[in-house]
Amino acid sequence: MNRLKLPPWLVLLLPAIIILSAVVLIPLVLSLYSSFTSYRLTRPDSIFNWVGFFNYEKALTDVKFWAAFGRTVLLLTVALNLEMLLGLGLALMVSKVTQGQRLLRTMMMFPMMFSPILVGFQFKFIFNDNVGLVNNALQSLGLTDRAIPWLVDGHLAMFSIIFAEIWTATSVFGILILAGLYAIPRDPLEAAKVDGCTAWQSFRYVTLPFLMPFIYIAMAIRSLDVARAYDIVQIMTNGGPARRTELLWTLIGRTGYVDARMGYANAMGYISIFLAIFFTIYFFKKLTQSRKELGMGA
Amino acid sequence: MKTLLSGASRAVLATASLTAAISAFGTAQAGEFDGVTIEAKLIGGQQYEALYARIPEWEAATGAKVDIISKKNHFELDKEFKSDIAAGTTSWCVGSNHSSFASQYPTLYTDLTGLVAKDVVAEFVQANIKAATFDGKLVMLPRAQFDVSALYYQKDLYNDADKAKAFEAKFGYSLAVPETWAQVKDQATFFADPPNFYGTQYAGKDEAIVGRYYEMVVAEGGKLFNDDFSPAFNSEEGKRALQWFVDLYEAKAVPAGTTNYLWDDLGNGFASGTIALNLDWPGWAGFFNDPSSSKVAGNVGVAPAPKGSSGARTGWSGFHGFSVTEDCANKEAAASLVEFLTNEDSQKLESAAGPLPSRTAVWEYVSEQAKDDPYRSEVLAAFKETAATAFAVPPTPLWIEATNLIYPELQAAILGDKTVDEALEDASDAVDSLMQEEGVY
Repeated sequence: MNRLKLPPWLVLLLPAIIILSAVVLIPLVLSLYSSFTSYRLTRPDSIFNWVGFFNYEKALTDVKFWAAFGRTVLLLTVALNLEMLLGLGLALMVSKVTQGQRLLRTMMMFPMMFSPILVGFQFKFIFNDNVGLVNNALQSLGLTDRAIPWLVDGHLAMFSIIFAEIWTATSVFGILILAGLYAIPRDPLEAAKVDGCTAWQSFRYVTLPFLMPFIYIAMAIRSLDVARAYDIVQIMTNGGPARRTELLWTLIGRTGYVDARMGYANAMGYISIFLAIFFTIYFFKKLTQSRKELGMGA
Repeated sequence: MKTLLSGASRAVLATASLTAAISAFGTAQAGEFDGVTIEAKLIGGQQYEALYARIPEWEAATGAKVDIISKKNHFELDKEFKSDIAAGTTSWCVGSNHSSFASQYPTLYTDLTGLVAKDVVAEFVQANIKAATFDGKLVMLPRAQFDVSALYYQKDLYNDADKAKAFEAKFGYSLAVPETWAQVKDQATFFADPPNFYGTQYAGKDEAIVGRYYEMVVAEGGKLFNDDFSPAFNSEEGKRALQWFVDLYEAKAVPAGTTNYLWDDLGNGFASGTIALNLDWPGWAGFFNDPSSSKVAGNVGVAPAPKGSSGARTGWSGFHGFSVTEDCANKEAAASLVEFLTNEDSQKLESAAGPLPSRTAVWEYVSEQAKDDPYRSEVLAAFKETAATAFAVPPTPLWIEATNLIYPELQAAILGDKTVDEALEDASDAVDSLMQEEGVY
């Protein structure tokens, strides 16, 4: 009788394969499968009720889903660009400081240490129309005599959420760009100075190209974060009022866990993943391109 | 002789204690559940802890142990229960339940009819028992956390002669505590002085605003759903009800952020002294009149919920309760615990802090206890009057899901994104699609 003998490389890899299958592959396959069923959390047997592409068709023809998709792209675009600009400014300023830089770097990281839930509650209070800090300050300073509905008005509510996102994550850009600034060789900057470049020209044509790989890495990381934005929005507005701040994951979260329609929620989730994949591929392409321009190879 | 007497008195005492234990702990016998452990998932929060402090008494009397494996608010428990049902991890025994959520778990909880004696069930307010019964199954026993809303108001607003004169000149009738929602609208508009003072406020999102809208539709003489659960709110009554919310928002008689408010925001808002009239739950009564938590303490009046144009009061009600799971290994022990947590002593303990009981005898007891406290008597009278015509949420497992479709449309009308007609038509279509998709009709 021949005993089945697995090749040593497979035996060595087997624990990793089993663990990865258990924690990644099986849940992924199960959720993908359930997106083709009418699975409801409260009726476990409905997981066997195959409905084909019904959930996908429903999501793709649902105006509310596409509105949430559009708002998520808007949030991504605005938040990411502003975080990048502010993070760049912050990093440039901190890099010029000669004393207490270590303390400043630590302080820069403070917002990252807060749980997003806490950040949500903090800004929900700050922007509260009745007892919030912002309105009280504006009214005390005589700048307005009305209660500005920060978390209700269509534009202001989105602004408030973007503000909270930027507050909590600008330092991600700041820290990564600062690391980039430290890595820039001094020679090209000195050569630019000798050639008579202005400070702006040195920054635009020497510093910035060196920083671009760092910026794209930060962009890729944050795009994944923002595309999954949930906690802060959930606490501040819960996607409302009147769906004015509804994002993909507040919609999907409510559909899956409150309405218990897990099959439909998973279908929306799989469509939404394409957004994250698109941004990741885009930023990695940009990263490769900027590395090539610096002669760092593909 | 001494020994004999002492032996006899011990026997008498033991018999008396056993009788007392049996009456206090329902049908459970002393030591009946020795070695049994009951796992429970209970609603958490300071106001609920006093009752849980009684659990050791039940443990001592029955020999069982209670292991509280989860303590969360009902919205979080709801998600946990749904995950448990999905994962098949429902062998724990006792769960906190709520009349608004209960219909969603048709398979999770067992019928208590055979586990709790009929005469015990008869001691509860029968309207509550009816609302705890789904498809003939009694799924929970109500605890002393019965909720219906009455109208809190700032008393001094009605003692101001200048205000009374100005009001009468503007609206043509004298200023008095409102008895109808039309009067509430007039008075709220009259009292409002934004951004410092508002006439009233309302819960503006989630199930909360749909509940408020639901009771207003009923008070206007309409229905939220037909008997087959097809939507019935896109009607003249439904439109009048929604228009009330819209008019107050447009008149700036409610805070601009009201569409984001939930119960805590509303309670704290009234306690801050910036709201004239506030429809709210009984649990806030003590908080509002406590100088350490409220700026309106000593100035709070409570009136029964006003009436709509049909003459009916608003009265969306709900209550907390305890249920026993279908998969519980020892349902008798679990039912005994549920009975204990909802018995007269438990309800007296809970209602002493303010919440309303769900047992007829305890209603009488708390009224008697409040005789020398004019504020408490006023509170109880107002809530008792409102409770008399209260009604629960429609008994459909799709209630919460339907509210998630309705509330964004109500908000859209309130904020002016849609007209009342458009919003109700969209909400009605969405609910209709849901019901059809789920095979309700």
